[in-house]
Amino acid sequence: MSVAFLAPLMLLGVAGLLIPVVIHLIGKQRARVVRFAALEFLVASKRRTARRLRLRERLLLVVRVLVCLAIPIALAKPFTSCASKGPVIARGPQAAVLVVDDSFTSGYRSGGRTLLARATEEAARILTLLGPEAEVAVVRASEGASQPTELSREHLRLRDQLADLTPTARPADLDRALGRAAQLLAGSSHQRRTIYLLSPLNRGALRGASPAWGADGPALEIVDLRDGGAPRPNLAVTSLRVEPDPGAGTRGIAVVAEIANYAPSPAPGVTVSLRIGGQIIAKGQIDLAAGEKKAKRFLASLPHGYRSAEVVVELPGDALPADDKRYAMAQLRDDIRVLLVDGDPHANRHDDELFYLEAALRPGDRAEAGATVTKLNPEDLDQVELEQHDVVVLANVPALTAERVARLAAWVEAGGGLLVAPGDHVDSGGYERTMLPLLPQSLRDPIDTAWGAAADERAARALKLTKWEADHPIFAPFAKDAPGLADASFTKIVLLGPTTDTDDRKVLARFTNGAAALVEARKGDGRLLLYTSTVDRDWNDLPIHPGYLPLMQESVRHLARKRVQGGTSDALVGQGVSVATLDLRKLEVRGPGENALFAGERLEGRRSVRFVGGSAAGIYRVTGTDRTGATRDRDELAFAVNLDPRGSDLTPAPASALPTGGAGEGGVPRETKRRVELWHGLAAALLILLVIESLLIQRA
Amino acid sequence: MPKLDPVALARLGTLPIKARVIVEGALSGLHRARLHGSSVEFAEHKEYSPGDEIRHVDWKAFGKLDRYYVKQFEQESQLTVYLALDASGSMRFAGGGLSKVEYGGLCLAALAYLVVQQQDKVGLVVFGRHGEPLHVPPRARTSHLADVLATLDDTIAGPGAGAPAHDDVTPAAALDRIGELARRKRALIVLASDLFDPDDRTLGALRRLRAQKHDVVVLHLLAPEEQTFPYEGLTMFEALESDHRLLVNPAAIRTDYLEKMAAFLARVSRELGEAGVDYHLVSTDHPIEDTLFRVLATRQKLTGGGR
Repeated sequence: MSVAFLAPLMLLGVAGLLIPVVIHLIGKQRARVVRFAALEFLVASKRRTARRLRLRERLLLVVRVLVCLAIPIALAKPFTSCASKGPVIARGPQAAVLVVDDSFTSGYRSGGRTLLARATEEAARILTLLGPEAEVAVVRASEGASQPTELSREHLRLRDQLADLTPTARPADLDRALGRAAQLLAGSSHQRRTIYLLSPLNRGALRGASPAWGADGPALEIVDLRDGGAPRPNLAVTSLRVEPDPGAGTRGIAVVAEIANYAPSPAPGVTVSLRIGGQIIAKGQIDLAAGEKKAKRFLASLPHGYRSAEVVVELPGDALPADDKRYAMAQLRDDIRVLLVDGDPHANRHDDELFYLEAALRPGDRAEAGATVTKLNPEDLDQVELEQHDVVVLANVPALTAERVARLAAWVEAGGGLLVAPGDHVDSGGYERTMLPLLPQSLRDPIDTAWGAAADERAARALKLTKWEADHPIFAPFAKDAPGLADASFTKIVLLGPTTDTDDRKVLARFTNGAAALVEARKGDGRLLLYTSTVDRDWNDLPIHPGYLPLMQESVRHLARKRVQGGTSDALVGQGVSVATLDLRKLEVRGPGENALFAGERLEGRRSVRFVGGSAAGIYRVTGTDRTGATRDRDELAFAVNLDPRGSDLTPAPASALPTGGAGEGGVPRETKRRVELWHGLAAALLILLVIESLLIQRA
Repeated sequence: MPKLDPVALARLGTLPIKARVIVEGALSGLHRARLHGSSVEFAEHKEYSPGDEIRHVDWKAFGKLDRYYVKQFEQESQLTVYLALDASGSMRFAGGGLSKVEYGGLCLAALAYLVVQQQDKVGLVVFGRHGEPLHVPPRARTSHLADVLATLDDTIAGPGAGAPAHDDVTPAAALDRIGELARRKRALIVLASDLFDPDDRTLGALRRLRAQKHDVVVLHLLAPEEQTFPYEGLTMFEALESDHRLLVNPAAIRTDYLEKMAAFLARVSRELGEAGVDYHLVSTDHPIEDTLFRVLATRQKLTGGGR
C-alpha cells in the first residue's frame, strides 16, 4: 500500500514539530524562583507527584509533537489506492437490500469463524458505508425465512437484526431471496437501487442463474465469502433408511446411511457410528473417493421391550457439524394379524387344509413368531371386521359371493394383503364368475401330473419349483439353489388364464414346466398373491420341506408390508409432515424445533394432520389423548426430520452460474482500484490529540 | 482607631520608636495595658463584705474564728520576662509582607517596652543564628531596654542564618538554656518562632519549661503564603536554610501541602494546649497590635484579672 499526497507542499509544515520541543525546553528554564521556608512539606508532597508530573510533561510533549505533525500531513491530503474484490459502495440517499445467507451451510467454520459471522460483519460494514440516508432492508436467504415488508432507515434496528442472525436448519434459496429483494426495491423511489448478496454461493443454493427481475431492475453486488473459490471439504450423511431385516427376525433392522464426501480429495477411513436409543451400538469405517457418495449398511436388532427407537447415524465432527448427523425412527412392527379362511376344515387336524400353514406362521405357537392367526370358515367371513386384519388367506375356498368379494376387494384396495391358494374345492368356473377382483390372473382347470402314472413314476413326473425371483423380499432368505424349495414335488397345480384388472403383476416363481407357481399384483394400496398349488399336502409335499416355513412367513410379511415398513428419513426441515390422527382427541407433537398441539376442529374428522413446525433436525415425538381420556406417548407416530442434503455440498458455484444484476453487474466479484482518502482519519486523530492535550493541561 | 499595617510600621524609624508607637499609640486605648505573670503572693486578710469574691473566702479562718475573712493577694513584686526570638533561616521568609523574623522582632520589642514601662525585668534570647545564642540578661532599667531593642534590631537587620552548622544551638537547647537562667524563679517566657524544627524537639523543650512552672507564651509566626500556598505555574522553590531546590507545579501538590500544613498546625496546637502553653498562631499580615492585644488579653484572663 503506497501513500501519496494531493498537496505535498503542505508537508513543509512538518518543521513545525520543533515548536513544542522548543516550548518544552524553554518552559523548563523559565520556572519562577521562590525562596520558601516550609520546603520540608513540599518535598514530602513532591516525592509522590514528581514521577507523575514528569510522565505527564513527556506525554504532553509527545501529544504536541504529534499535533504539529498531524496538521501539515492532513493539509497535504494523503490518500492511498487499494485493490478490493468487494462491492462498490457509495454513500448517500439510495435503496439497498442486504441478502444474507443464513442457511445451515453458513454455519461452516472457516478460520475460526462461521461463514454467517463473516457475512453479518461484512453486512454491518456495508450498512455503515451506505450512510444514514440509505433505506435498507435485510433479507434472509434461508428457505422459508420470514422476510421484511419494507425498506427502513432505522439502521440501529437493522444492525440488531444482523447481530441476531444464526444459522438456521434450512438450505439456502437464493433465487427466492433475490426475488424478494427485487420486490422491496421496486417500491422505492430512489434512483440508486442495489442488492448486496452475502453468501458462500455454493452450488446447491443457486437453482437458476437468471435473476428474478428484468434488465431495468436493481444492480447486484456480490460480496465474496468464497475465499476465492477455494474448496470447502465437507462430509455429510445425506440419507438414512431403516428397513426391517428379514434375516434378523422380527426385531431385526437394517440401517442404510448414505455418506457423501464433498471434497476434491478422497476421505479414507471415515468412521460412521450408529446410535440407537441414545447409545452407540455399532461403528464402521468407509473409504470415500473425492466427490463420492456411498451407502453404509448396519444390521441391528432392537432390544425387547421397545416398540420404537431413535436411530442416529453420525460422522466425526467437521467444519459443518450440522449435517454430520441424520435421524430416523425405527418402528417395531406389530404382529401381523392373519385371517385364515379354511375352505376344507376337518375334524382331524392333520387333514385340515390349514394344518401346515398355521404351524408355519406360528411355529411352536410362540409369541415372537410375529403373527397372530385367526381361523374361520368361508361362511363366517361376514361376521369378521376385515380392518382388524393385515392379511387374509383364502385356502381352498370355494368361490365367494359377489358381495363378499366386493368387500374383500375394497379391503385390499385400502391396503390389505390377500393370498389365494387353490384346492379341490376351487372351481375355476365359479372363480371366473365372482372371484376375479381378488386374483391377479384368472384360473384354469388344475392339471395332475401324476394322473394315470404308475406308483413308481409319480415322483419322476412331479413338477419342481424353479426360477424364482431371488431379489424379491419373499425369496430373500433363500439361496439361489435352495434345496428346501427346489426339492419339493408338485403333483397338481392350477394353470392360469388371462390377467385381471390389477397393477404391477409379476410371476415370482415358476414350475419346471414353465407354469406360474406364485403371482403377485398390486391392487390399490394392497397386494394380491396367487399360489397355484395347495397350502397343505394334497397337491404337493412342500409343507414337509424346510423351504415351506420361510416361504409362507415371508409371503405373509410381504403382503403386510405396508404396515411393517421401517422409518425413513424423508421428512426435511421446513417441509410438512403428515401425522396420522388414529382417532385421537388430542395430539401433541414435541421436537427440538417447535411443538404443536392439535385438538378440537383441527383434529375432528381427520385421518391425518399436517405438522409444519419442524424448524430443527431431530426426532419429533407425539403424545396422544384417546377417547377415554388416557394420554400416552404414541411411539408409532414419532418421526424424524432431517436437513436438506442439498445444502451440504459447499462446492462453489461456477462463475457462469452466479446471478447477474439488472444492469449487468454481479457475476464474479471483480477487482477494483479504489482511492482511499486518509485525511479524514488524520483529522479525527488530530481532534482526539487536542482533547488529550487539553485534558493533560487541565490535570497539570 | 485605625490599625497599624505591619509593613507601614516597619518603615517607621528605629526599633525603639516602633515599639513606642505600638505600645503608646495603638495599645494606649487599652484599659490597664499590662503584661501579667501568673505568680501572686498572699498579702493580708480582710473581713468579708458583700461584693467580695466567694472563692477568696478563707474557710480555715472561718472554722477557727466563726467569721468570714477574705484573702487578699498581691502580684509578685517584680515579673521577669524572657523574650525568645527564633532567627533561623526559615524565619527570613517574607512572602508579600514583613519577614517572620521582622514581625516577631517588632512584637517582642513592643513587649519589652511594655514590660520595662511596668518596671518589670525583661531579658532576651536570640537563637537560630550561627554559634551561641545572643543573650541579654533580664533587667528592669530603662537603659537596659535600649540594649534589648538594639539586639533585636541587629537580629532583624542582620543577614539570614543560611544552612545550619553542626555547632549551632538548636531551638530546644536555647529554650532549655532559658529554663536554666530563670533558675527557680518563675518567669514569663515569650517565644516568637515558626516552629519549623528539623529535630522536632522544640515542643518538648516548651513542655519542660511549663513543667518548671514558668508561664510560656508562643507566637507561632507563619506567612500567609505558607498557609495558603497561592503559587501558580512552574516554580523553583529554594530552601532558606539549605541549598535544596525543588522544581514543581504548585497546583499539583497544593492539596497535599495544605493537608500536611494543617496537620502540623493541629499537632502543635494540641500538644502545646495540653502542656498549658499560651499558644497563638499569628499570620504576619495581621496587625501587630491585634496580636499583642490577643496576648495581653489572654494573660489577663489566665491570671484572673490581675490586681
